Amino acid sequence: MTTDLQTDPGPRAPGSPAALEVRGLVKHYPGVKALDGVDLVVRQHEVLGLAGENGAGKSTLLKALVGLVRPDAGEIWVRGEKVRLRSIMDAADHGIGMVFQEQSLVPNLTAAENIVLGSEGPGVRRGVYRWRTMRALAQEQLDKIGSHIDPLARTDTLSFADRQMVEIAKVLRIEERTSHPPVIILDEPTSVLESKEIDTLFTQVRRLREFASVVFVSHRLDEVLDVCDRVAVLRGGQSVGEVPAEGAAPAELHRMMIGSTGADDHYHDSAAERSDEPRRPRLEVRGLSGKTFRDVDLDVHAGEIVGIVGVHGSGREDVCRALFGAEPTTAGEVVLDGKKLELSGTRAACAAGVGYVPAERKTEGMVGPMSVADNMTLTKQQARCSGPVVRPRKQASLVDGWIERLSIRTPHRGTAIQRLSGGNQQKVVLARWLVAGDVRLLLLDHPTRGLDIGARSEVYRLMRELANSGVATVLLADSLEEAIGMSDRIIVMSDGRATKEVAAPAGGKPTPLDLVKEMV
Amino acid sequence: MTTSPAEADTDVVHAQRPRPRRGVSLMDAGPPIALVVLFGVFAAMSPGFRTFSNVQNVLDAAAVLAVVTCGISFVLMMGSIDLSAPGIMGASAITVALLVANNRNDNDLGLVGVLVAVLVAAALGCLSGLALVVLKVPSFMATLGVSAVGLGVATLMFAGVQPNISDAMLEGWAVERFLGLARLTWIALACVIAAWLVQRYTRLGRYAFAIGGAEEVLALSGVRVAPYKVAVFTMAGAFYGLAGVMVTSQLGAGLVQAGRGFDFSAITAAVVGGTLLIGGRGGILQSTVGVLLVTVLTNGLVQVGVSPYWQGGVQGLIVVAAVAAAVIPQRRRNQVTK
Amino acid sequence: MSTPVLAQPAPDAPVVHRPTVGQRLTSFMPVIALVVLLAALTIADPGFLTLSSLTAAVRTAAPLIVLAAGATVVVLCGGIDLSIAALCSLATVFFALWLPDLGGATTLAIIAATGAIGALQGVVHVLLRIPSFIVTLGGMSIFAAIALVISDAGPIPLSDRDSTKWLTLYVAGVLPMAFVVALVLVAVVSLVLKLTPLESWVRATGYSESAARLGGAPVDLVKIGAFTLSGACAGLAAVMLVSRNFSGSPTMADNLLLPAVAAIVVGGTAITGGHGSLWRSLAGALVVTLLRVGLPIVGVPSAYEQILYGAIIVAAVALTLDRSKVLIIK
Repeated sequence: MTTDLQTDPGPRAPGSPAALEVRGLVKHYPGVKALDGVDLVVRQHEVLGLAGENGAGKSTLLKALVGLVRPDAGEIWVRGEKVRLRSIMDAADHGIGMVFQEQSLVPNLTAAENIVLGSEGPGVRRGVYRWRTMRALAQEQLDKIGSHIDPLARTDTLSFADRQMVEIAKVLRIEERTSHPPVIILDEPTSVLESKEIDTLFTQVRRLREFASVVFVSHRLDEVLDVCDRVAVLRGGQSVGEVPAEGAAPAELHRMMIGSTGADDHYHDSAAERSDEPRRPRLEVRGLSGKTFRDVDLDVHAGEIVGIVGVHGSGREDVCRALFGAEPTTAGEVVLDGKKLELSGTRAACAAGVGYVPAERKTEGMVGPMSVADNMTLTKQQARCSGPVVRPRKQASLVDGWIERLSIRTPHRGTAIQRLSGGNQQKVVLARWLVAGDVRLLLLDHPTRGLDIGARSEVYRLMRELANSGVATVLLADSLEEAIGMSDRIIVMSDGRATKEVAAPAGGKPTPLDLVKEMV
Repeated sequence: MTTSPAEADTDVVHAQRPRPRRGVSLMDAGPPIALVVLFGVFAAMSPGFRTFSNVQNVLDAAAVLAVVTCGISFVLMMGSIDLSAPGIMGASAITVALLVANNRNDNDLGLVGVLVAVLVAAALGCLSGLALVVLKVPSFMATLGVSAVGLGVATLMFAGVQPNISDAMLEGWAVERFLGLARLTWIALACVIAAWLVQRYTRLGRYAFAIGGAEEVLALSGVRVAPYKVAVFTMAGAFYGLAGVMVTSQLGAGLVQAGRGFDFSAITAAVVGGTLLIGGRGGILQSTVGVLLVTVLTNGLVQVGVSPYWQGGVQGLIVVAAVAAAVIPQRRRNQVTK
Repeated sequence: MSTPVLAQPAPDAPVVHRPTVGQRLTSFMPVIALVVLLAALTIADPGFLTLSSLTAAVRTAAPLIVLAAGATVVVLCGGIDLSIAALCSLATVFFALWLPDLGGATTLAIIAATGAIGALQGVVHVLLRIPSFIVTLGGMSIFAAIALVISDAGPIPLSDRDSTKWLTLYVAGVLPMAFVVALVLVAVVSLVLKLTPLESWVRATGYSESAARLGGAPVDLVKIGAFTLSGACAGLAAVMLVSRNFSGSPTMADNLLLPAVAAIVVGGTAITGGHGSLWRSLAGALVVTLLRVGLPIVGVPSAYEQILYGAIIVAAVALTLDRSKVLIIK
């Protein structure tokens, strides 16, 4: 159980020789250091687990390994040879292939075509398909992993698990390109599988180890420990250590992932004086059901921040959108300040004083080419109008006021919002709901996504300020720490149901592990 | 073990591709059933419709549209759209009329003339494809432009004097019958079979299908899609060119307007046959059923006494209805429709 | 079943916004084109730059300006209206047929009717979620059919020429009334957009429909409104055509579709939506008209007109397209 920092990639680690080695990989995105000197060794014939919090840099690292991201600094070595990977085909030529989290198959082609896609070889002669050869080629791949899928079945008629097998069979085609054992990367392969399917997948992974190296990425630590030989942990774009899987406990891994600091407290509320006498909640949700969630009950009081946590597929994003009228519901009732809230559309929600900050800021949150001022007044048009007529001066003073109040760094209110940094963009998006001073319920879907630390804390402060002014807030946080730090109360969602409620007052915060137990 | 396992940056909004359901049989069986029903209804309503000679008429009338639809189907399969048929057909109609024996000049190239006309058309189609992949102009705009170019080229060659053809072979295509059907109809049948073979057995055809299914996946698999897109538009152009030649054979003269309305009829036929405009579904055989549906409808309406002027209107209605029928089950809130 | 890996913008990339030469050029394109064209035509034929020929040119341009102006709003919303020309033709037939009964009110009735038809297309587009070009392509075909049927495929002469006489008058002896009406239309619509939240909503819808919707903009109503305006403009253009030709005909305006689309894109309005203005389309329409009038002057056969339209459309779209928005271009 070593947690020693592996700073020196130098001489190869003991055991079997390294198939793939990463030294000091760095990747900057503006405002964010996604990779900050990552070191990693994948040995031959081993299954290496890769664990890390959201934002730890797993994704970027994997993409660098298959040539989809070009690192700013650092080296990638394959079997002792330094390589530069410019494209996914480059990576394949070096024997590195990846099974993507979102499956990358063409749904309307046959399984066989998908397996050989892009490297049909003898399957296509002078542009003409030779279906029999094609089928044989695909069968060969499927045999390797012992799958009994009909190669000529249309891919979209296969189950998710079968499609994953096709995907693995497809990745194994890179064996045709090199004479060496390949390195196969599996990115969150279990997230949508059922337990029986997961067992089958694990059998496959162990089988793969016989002739390949595997990098296995999953957010379920028990699985990682179950199937891997060794687990490397990333935190904040750096490798913080590794443990042999045998005998390790998930809790230990988790501690490495979140670091020693534990949950940092974003709770800026110094004077949390709330009357304890029971009042009617500002938002009451009863039995809300939709496509991805069922029977959700939720109360949010004025001035309260309620965090909803849950893993991918828990349905919490859809609950949030449904409350804003952007996702259809099948049953349930929502009451806001004693009045029934119509979930018929976004207009109705806006008019009722509900605000929503979408997770996808660039595509859903803001209108990039439009000015800061126009973005800020997009929703509450009445704030800049007299009657139906826009008053440019009224708008200018209003917008300038908010720019100052939220210290939004922009050259001018007329600057296109897409030219601002992410944090300032997000502040404009938030200000949109504040300009009219009538927001009662704020739904925040990953409001700090992609922001650097400085911008994050500004957003945190703003959220707390709003809450203190009486706004009820529903928060889907970017990380558990954020949820714990910001929320007064946390609802855990799992498989579309609200399964647990955890109080999180200042001074009495739960730990991330407390929540994780409920989530999985 | 995070609240949001989907890493921030992988979670990008992308056009949600509706998952084709498994039991799609209704969508596949619908058009043929509709064809049979429609045929039955008209046969019951009109004695003139159910004669053998009228069935011959329907098949002969379907010939040109079938060829145009062969071309457009590949484009629609990719999820693109093609409005260039009128221009390309016009250009090829005039080209062939001026190259075979005619009253304007002394050319008498026969089959070579037909070939040249088809090549000219293919070149125009290629132009659409290039505008799409090189200039990134959306296909409906690119093909609208190319259609105008084709009409202009045709008008230039037309030069105010209509070229009447006197080439025996070309004239014979429309007149001479084999097994009760005009030669043109057999040509159309050959085109359908050829197009089906392309769709089923060539990389071009399969990739066109795949581009409509998930273009980004092809790129991830290291396939360069641009050449295939250009090739598909070129092939479509060639089909339109042949259709233009066929119209010239029917009319006995080259007309600039030879292709008027065929773009829309062909889209109607393909959509009614079960091709989705977002691409990735449908095929030549489905489109051919669509062609028969449209032709039977047109012919039947005339037989039961509806003014032929309504023809376009009926097509307009059914294309909107067919697209709506395909789209409605997949509607989402907050969906972007351009 | 699709992979967003390629479609992924770098997280939080600062958008370095330096207008490229192409962008600078396109923003002034219509004006530059107009000046260059005028200069070229004057050099080719010194007699061209006279009051009478300019008056004739703007008079011809009037219906085109009106058609293009209406459709521009649809394009700003991110859609396209391919039915304007067919609807305009249909309206000329309606005009000739209704004139005997409605008399002076015919013009208003036509505009109201075509506006309603446009609204219908908008409703179909919004409610059924059918792409706008398919709806309007279908509409084009339906309107043409209706026009053919009710006119019996031939021109219908006006029973009374006085009712449209006002459009053929000249303001101050030189400015054709039709052109003035077109100018007023462009000015009024532009002003209304500018002075109300409408412009914000229209642009937001065109730039990013989902952001607009999640920002509470009335996206559906805005789109329906745009199609209504587009239809109404087709009606007004029809009245202008009738006032010049003294008849209605089922194919009268059919050849205006391409010039109208060309006018919009030459003006620099992006076909992807959001960016552009009615004033740009006005300039674009003048450019297109000058080309049309000018080609014979410089000795180019008018058959090249079509080729030119095609080339212009493709080139202008390529220049104005917002490539950052469309990752995969179909």
